[in-house]
Amino acid sequence: MTAAQKLLVFQFPACAEQMGCLRQKLREALAPCGQSDTVVNNMVLAVSEACTNIIQHAYGQSDKGDIVLEVEWQNGKPGCNVTGSLVFRLTDFARHKTCAEEMRSRPLDEIRPGGLGCHIINEVMDEVVLRDRESGKGNVLELRKRL
Amino acid sequence: MECTVRSQTGFDLLELGGEVDLQFSHKLRETILGSLKTGNPLLIDMAKVSYIDSSGIASLVEGFQTAKTSKLQYGLLNISNAAMQVLTLTRLDKIFDLHSSTDQFKQKLQ
Repeated sequence: MTAAQKLLVFQFPACAEQMGCLRQKLREALAPCGQSDTVVNNMVLAVSEACTNIIQHAYGQSDKGDIVLEVEWQNGKPGCNVTGSLVFRLTDFARHKTCAEEMRSRPLDEIRPGGLGCHIINEVMDEVVLRDRESGKGNVLELRKRL
Repeated sequence: MECTVRSQTGFDLLELGGEVDLQFSHKLRETILGSLKTGNPLLIDMAKVSYIDSSGIASLVEGFQTAKTSKLQYGLLNISNAAMQVLTLTRLDKIFDLHSSTDQFKQKLQ
């Protein structure tokens, strides 16, 4: 792969019915990366969890809109002990401003339903960065997995 | 997602399969809680689960808590690799009662 390569740009309506299609697109995009099934499954799960959070919390019940998923391969710097990184950038256009607190994992010793999505994202990915969109409403979540 | 409850001698067996995500997890939740309401122990066969996310896991956890409160046996059977990967990530593999055969679960009922 070249130094920086866009593997996927996919815009879709933020709703639960789209998640199967999203996962399929993501698997197809990740196939040339030559990673094990376990690594691919974990990355697909983490990105899917991030989309679920956008659907449930950023858009919620009262707002509607799209999600744009961009997947990019970035080569590692010379002398660095990783081959490169996969960057998953999720952009939403929701009125709700997602804050860093909402992306924190909850303690796993609390056995209760819910709140596991952020733990999965933080566990699978090496970097999780949240920022506002530069223009207009919405949020950008960038997930990085070093390989 | 496929989600069918079959009545067995002394317990209910829920056969779960396919992709369990945000679109279907509410159906799984209703099925689990509906089954537990009958007062029968519940065993969930997860051999055919090809994908499960945190919303599906949340339904399993809610069932676990409800069964515990109702003092009913509740277990997971033949967990697929895909589902085990998620249970391990969320450390719930140490919490749920995992079984590799229905006989193993039946022994707990005695």
